[in-house]
Amino acid sequence: MNSSHSESELVFGIQELFKKHPARRSSIIPLLQEIQEHYGYVSPPAVDAMSEYLGVSASEIYGVASFYTQFKFVPPGKYVIQICQGTACHVRASSIVLEALREELKVEPGHTTSDGLFTLERVACVGCCALAPVMAINGKVYAQMTQDKVREVIKEYRQKEENKTGI
Amino acid sequence: MNVVIDGKTVEGRAGETILECALRYGISIPHLCTHPALPPFGACRICIVEVEGMRGYPTSCSTPIAEGMVIRTQTEALRLLRRNILGLMMLEHPSACLVCERRDLCDKYRPKSEKVGATTGCHTCNNKEVCEVRELSADLGLAEIMVAPNYHYKPIERSEPFIDRDLNLCILCGRCVRICKLHQGKSVIDFVHRSSQTHIGQAFGKNLHEAGCTFCGSCIDVCPTGTLSDRYAKWFGRPDRITETTCIYCDEACALAIYAVNNKPVMAKGLYDKWPVCVLGHFAIPEFLNSPQRLRTAQIRVNKVLRPVTTEEATQRCAELLKNHMGKNFAFVCDTSSTLEDRHVFKKFTQEVMQSPYYFEIVPDRKGYARFTNIPEEVKAVITTGSFVPQELRDKFEVVISLDIFPSEWTKTADVVCPVAVFAEVSGTVLDKDNQIRPLIKACNPPGEAMPEWFVVQQIAKIFSPDKWKEYQAVEEITYELGINTAKLNLDRETAPPASQNLKERREWFKGHKIEDYVSGLVAVRNFEEGQDHEEKAEVRLEVKIPENPLPFMVLSRRELVPNTYEFVIHAPAIAKKALPGQFVIVMVDENSERIPYTLSDWDERKGTITLVIQEKGLSSRKMISVNEGECLAHVVGPLGTAFEIKHYGTVAILGGCYGIGAVVRLSRALREQGNKVIMISEARSHYMTYYKKELTAVSNQFIQTTIDASSGEKGHAIDALKRLLQTGEKIDLIVAVGCPFMMMITAEETRNMGIKALCALNPIMLDGTGMCGACRISVGGETKFACVDGPFFDAHLVDWDEVRDRREAYSTEEIQAVSYTMPSTTLEGEHRHHHCSCMERG
Ligand code: SF4
Ligand code: SF4
Ligand code: SF4
Ligand code: FES
Ligand code: FES
Repeated sequence: MNSSHSESELVFGIQELFKKHPARRSSIIPLLQEIQEHYGYVSPPAVDAMSEYLGVSASEIYGVASFYTQFKFVPPGKYVIQICQGTACHVRASSIVLEALREELKVEPGHTTSDGLFTLERVACVGCCALAPVMAINGKVYAQMTQDKVREVIKEYRQKEENKTGI
Repeated sequence: MNVVIDGKTVEGRAGETILECALRYGISIPHLCTHPALPPFGACRICIVEVEGMRGYPTSCSTPIAEGMVIRTQTEALRLLRRNILGLMMLEHPSACLVCERRDLCDKYRPKSEKVGATTGCHTCNNKEVCEVRELSADLGLAEIMVAPNYHYKPIERSEPFIDRDLNLCILCGRCVRICKLHQGKSVIDFVHRSSQTHIGQAFGKNLHEAGCTFCGSCIDVCPTGTLSDRYAKWFGRPDRITETTCIYCDEACALAIYAVNNKPVMAKGLYDKWPVCVLGHFAIPEFLNSPQRLRTAQIRVNKVLRPVTTEEATQRCAELLKNHMGKNFAFVCDTSSTLEDRHVFKKFTQEVMQSPYYFEIVPDRKGYARFTNIPEEVKAVITTGSFVPQELRDKFEVVISLDIFPSEWTKTADVVCPVAVFAEVSGTVLDKDNQIRPLIKACNPPGEAMPEWFVVQQIAKIFSPDKWKEYQAVEEITYELGINTAKLNLDRETAPPASQNLKERREWFKGHKIEDYVSGLVAVRNFEEGQDHEEKAEVRLEVKIPENPLPFMVLSRRELVPNTYEFVIHAPAIAKKALPGQFVIVMVDENSERIPYTLSDWDERKGTITLVIQEKGLSSRKMISVNEGECLAHVVGPLGTAFEIKHYGTVAILGGCYGIGAVVRLSRALREQGNKVIMISEARSHYMTYYKKELTAVSNQFIQTTIDASSGEKGHAIDALKRLLQTGEKIDLIVAVGCPFMMMITAEETRNMGIKALCALNPIMLDGTGMCGACRISVGGETKFACVDGPFFDAHLVDWDEVRDRREAYSTEEIQAVSYTMPSTTLEGEHRHHHCSCMERG
């Protein structure tokens, strides 16, 4: 998953994706899925390229894409925070943890913070129910989360970033 | 094929739908999402019918008829279902006016709508006079809204060229999306996002131009609500004349319908549903023809300066000047935007009267640009019907007679200038690009003294050779002389004009004038094309630091209380020191703006501030609400008017509506402090229009909220709550009503026989505020009063309410035009901040 590509790269790569699908309306959703899979999100130039290929207006493609919550229109953040909503985590109040994340990051699940740092995602089960409720950041698992712990972790990441840019 | 509709056997045509068949026989079935220009869609379900043998309720707009069908369109069950469907649809629409118990009275008292910013009900909707939803709701007897409707708080989009969009009114019928696809082959706009967030939009929030819009205007034409509107036309109301004529911006010669109000063109659109017209045909005609820059009076040169004269004097002068330039000394230069009739007369004049061979008819290029340089050496005098001779050649001529529509370098250096009528202002015929003759029918009046071109030239000819010139009494005589059979002329065409599909193909010039110089929206289009004006609209208001010592009339705080209503706190210590309850101030936003009176809502003597509650209504208040925190108003005069007499009355009922809710805060407090029992009744259309609940509760003994749609507090107008109170035995000693004239009028009428004194505030109708101009004159009890000095409070039972209404409705066409120009968006449409509305209370 590469989130920083130039426009020409994108258009170049995308032609390869197009080859797999006939140029007709019914290809809108499969193509959107491929684009999202490949680039991590659906960008304006990608939609423009699709529009040209399929002969369907960009607004129409965007209309279809924005209907489904699965499609994202901004590149994923540097840190993807996954919050488990599986049964075990749910029982152990993962929703409260999610609430804290929402407040802390000021984004809804499925969205990225305006500074591009964090993307908040809900996932089904991370596979370590014993540690519930679980949160994962770029794959790194944080166990037995509470609202306070969540805030702590986010603060750490933010500090890390600040130090980096400070240098 | 025979079918039975409501017991009547009718002959159906193969392939038609139940709705089409019924309409053909004059049987009306209510419908909404379907439109004659569009294929059936079947989305709204308003058009349901009962068909024997079919289960459920099929939609008549999408069900084809079949032999022997027995259809019922008007059963009680259908009516109820339809009403419920519409009711559900109205939950996402400002619908209070539809269910208002005084709807008929309101329509009678104020048939026109008010030109506000955000529409919060029919009474402030540009679509009111032609609204399909209103008609439907009346037909179906919609009388109540089940749950509190939702207002979306979407900022009104008014920085696109030509098109205003208020998505808070959209009912998602999809007509616009479908017509765009049909006419453009692709949908520039589409439904985006899902469920309650669904709205009409472009990919990634691009602007219309970026999304590929050609500004054909078709979406506006089909929108059944006030969501999409033609910014120029929107406040003119129902046209009183519709004329079918031909567009002559280019030689595609599209058929148009021109809508006129008082003989003034206000809107144009393509005549046929199947073809879109281009941006010029749809949007560039009224603004161009109504331009304040049009030449209106004839002028002649006297000692180097052009002076206005009568048409007779001007033609007289033409004849004198041309006398010495007969034969090859004279040339006539016109282009093909003049009608065939005009050109026939020009030619005849040149050859027969002037006896010159030099009659030149130039054909403009693809952009409509026409230049004429090929002037024979011996020509010393010229008549032109447009500005197409290069200025460098001016000195070649001893005499220049210019028939034109706009001033230009050429007209400014001419010896005689005659204003002419063109385009939709004249009748005649033109040739299209395939040499077909197309009819031009006069649809509106020209400005000032302007006359058709042929007529002006004939006037000159008559003076020249009174005996020889055979006078035409009317343009039809010329058409006849040209051998044109008018009965055969038609407006229909085979294909859509190329410019309706490709914005770049549009014409740019007309008679040597750049069209965009007179049509503001075209400038916006040009700016988009040149990549300017792409700056993001400021979405977040900048934090403004208010200085310790604010400047005079500085705006210290500004917030949107409810849609279209704003609260301003202004630094004005001198006014705050002297203000008394009931008084008002007059605000001038900048040196050139109108003077607008606003009631003092509150003030703080210590801080030196005054508080005003302001609604956007028209240009001046739009300017006012665009002023940001930290900026200064040019001037605030006050306090003005006679203060309310604060004394012990007993029980006082204060009724506030619209801006009046804000206006009575201080009055209420003062009355209560004097030992009165103050019952405060605040009325609003719907829950999202209520504000100052806490403030008013704090300054009154009892606070009652009413809403027209019963979504918050009691149902109805404030007067309804008052009547209910009286029924419970409450004794009221004085009624004070502050709100729009309609609200005060009904309060006056419905309390007339109660034996209770009622006062009302008549201040929104004045100008200079000092009793000099007389603009605020009103009759109270048969006496003439000046609202500004004698008021604002008058005995509501003595006021002549019809006069008050007429005075308010007397705003000029100029004012409507002024709010209609495409302006760069300077208004920061801040987010709704839920200060006082109850949307949060509802959770
Ligand atoms: S579109 Fe306008 S006039 Fe029609 S119902 Fe809605 S608010 Fe009223
Ligand atoms: S003006 Fe024409 S092209 Fe533009 S959105 Fe409307 S229908 Fe589509
Ligand atoms: S903008 Fe008008 S035409 Fe389009 S969906 Fe909304 S109400 Fe219907
Ligand atoms: S008019 Fe038939 S479903 Fe809308
Ligand atoms: S406002 Fe001019 S006389 Fe009253």
